[in-house]
Amino acid sequence: MKTTSSIISLKKVYKEYLLGDGSIFTALKDINLDIYEGEFSAIIGSSGSGKSTLMHMIGLLDKPTRGEIIVNGEDVAKLNDNQTSVLRNSYVGFVFQQFNLLNKLTIKENILLPAIYSKIKLDFDPDQRADMLMEKFGIISKKDSFPNRISGGQQQRVAVARALIMKPQLILADEPTGNLDHKTGNEIIDLFEQLNITERITIVMVTHEMEIAQRTGRRIKVLDGEIISDKK
Amino acid sequence: MKLDKELYLLLKSAFADFRRDKIRTGLTSLGIMIGVFSVVILIALGLGLKNYIQQQFESLGANLVMILPGSGFSGGNGPAGLAGGAEFDEKDVTNLRKLPNIKYIVPVYVRSASVSSADTQKKVTIMGGNEDIFPLINIKAESGELWTKSDVDKKAKVAVLGNTIAGDLYGKPDNALGKTIRIEGLRLKVIGVAKKIGNQERDGAAFIPYTTTFGSLNPKKTFFAIYLGIADQNVVNSVKADVQKTLVKRYDKDRFSVTEQSEILSSINQIFAIINLVLIAIGSISLIVGGIGIMNIMYATVTERTREVGIRRALGATTRDILLQFLTESTVLSLFGGIVGLMVASLVVAIVRNWFPVAINLFAVVLAIGVSSGIGIFFGVFPAKKAADLSPMEAIRYE
Repeated sequence: MKTTSSIISLKKVYKEYLLGDGSIFTALKDINLDIYEGEFSAIIGSSGSGKSTLMHMIGLLDKPTRGEIIVNGEDVAKLNDNQTSVLRNSYVGFVFQQFNLLNKLTIKENILLPAIYSKIKLDFDPDQRADMLMEKFGIISKKDSFPNRISGGQQQRVAVARALIMKPQLILADEPTGNLDHKTGNEIIDLFEQLNITERITIVMVTHEMEIAQRTGRRIKVLDGEIISDKK
Repeated sequence: MKLDKELYLLLKSAFADFRRDKIRTGLTSLGIMIGVFSVVILIALGLGLKNYIQQQFESLGANLVMILPGSGFSGGNGPAGLAGGAEFDEKDVTNLRKLPNIKYIVPVYVRSASVSSADTQKKVTIMGGNEDIFPLINIKAESGELWTKSDVDKKAKVAVLGNTIAGDLYGKPDNALGKTIRIEGLRLKVIGVAKKIGNQERDGAAFIPYTTTFGSLNPKKTFFAIYLGIADQNVVNSVKADVQKTLVKRYDKDRFSVTEQSEILSSINQIFAIINLVLIAIGSISLIVGGIGIMNIMYATVTERTREVGIRRALGATTRDILLQFLTESTVLSLFGGIVGLMVASLVVAIVRNWFPVAINLFAVVLAIGVSSGIGIFFGVFPAKKAADLSPMEAIRYE
């Protein structure tokens, strides 16, 4: 797939932790990575390889010890906590392995939550957009249900709808099929593929399943905090 | 619109959490409930006592000036101020009669004694006075009649009984009429029973002519006090000055005091204001304990909901959003306790009102609502800050 411009760029990114015994653990080492608009990529690696830390950096949930993370031409490592939250709200949509829906809110309210936290004036009506997404993902009939009353596959669709509500530049999916059976997992990947191809939505997915990773256009392999291969 | 929606969802989340653990919510609010309940009840009691005293004073009659021994009640020493004071006598009454603007002059002999009817014995307050005591302190006959000037002049052995004591002695107040009572050997005929006035002392008194006490009851022929009824409120101060001048000729000025009813009332009110403050301070301790309970639970809630905080932060909630969320919850929790406490207190007050003039005023309501929301915010800030300061990345990984 031909790409256009980079929507996030990591330059010489290091993440180091000071351990209890005074030694330093390096979770990420000299990461140089660009994610391009319209890509569907997978970050793969075994447990403890640093792939989750990398995902947290891309998702602006964590800051590097050294290096730059450039989004829209700005080094986000220099933003304060609130500025990061505001940017995260509009720039990235998360899909988690555990779905991470709030059980006390209805499906529709869960989907609307990022819009409620938005600090910018939106150029769309979140209510209508939520209805449109639920319609599209076949969960409209469940809009007033609570997350613990619907199936895992449906919950993950709600999570995808929630991730899309703010029209983000990037969808970050952390092991999105990890809690689903094979068939439902494949359906979610189908959904991602469809979103990527038809709507050119950029998706970065963390996974340890090679079979799923093979379905993406780019595979970034992480080992011991370093990118050891990056295949398109 | 968006803010409304955010507030709606904040409240909805808060109530969903409360519903999920009703027992914990109830117990947490209980602390505040008890605190608000006790503060409101104490304020109501304080107000009730004040009302009660006020009613008692009002029943004494208007434009009443009292000449009392010692510093009276106004020196701030309470009844102790009466000790070592002047003992007034008929000469004082004669001297005071020469002064202008005085409508009634009543020498007052007061003491408690035992009163017996044919078959029972009770405690009674003897109130010796002249015929003007009745209009001065608003005593009217319910049955029979009040004794007159000629009874005073003749030292007649007659008595008018307060409504309560008449009932206590004879079953029904009216039955007392025409009966003979004995007070320490003195036999008196009951010629009238007074209407009930709601003042315990007056309703339990036996009114007799002061001259009748001059014998076994009051061999020294002295009076505890002299009550003056002033014709016009505007001349009260000049009458007080005249009285002062007249009495100082016979007594040292420290040995008597000339007091208006309103002065006594205001000094009693001052005492009550202090007592009330002390009571509220004691009640407030339970509010603080309740607040600490809320803080404790909110800390536990923050820990339990770390992952939720992480999810919200990942979706773009700022630290302020999280702070607001937990503060809303602690405030709702505390306010809930406060409102229930206020309602229970109102119920108790409504019941007690049948016997005692307790009251809830706007101050108590504003205090209850204000203090309970204040406690929610104050004790909620620390846990909420803890939640807001969680790192989004660590929070979302929290199991």
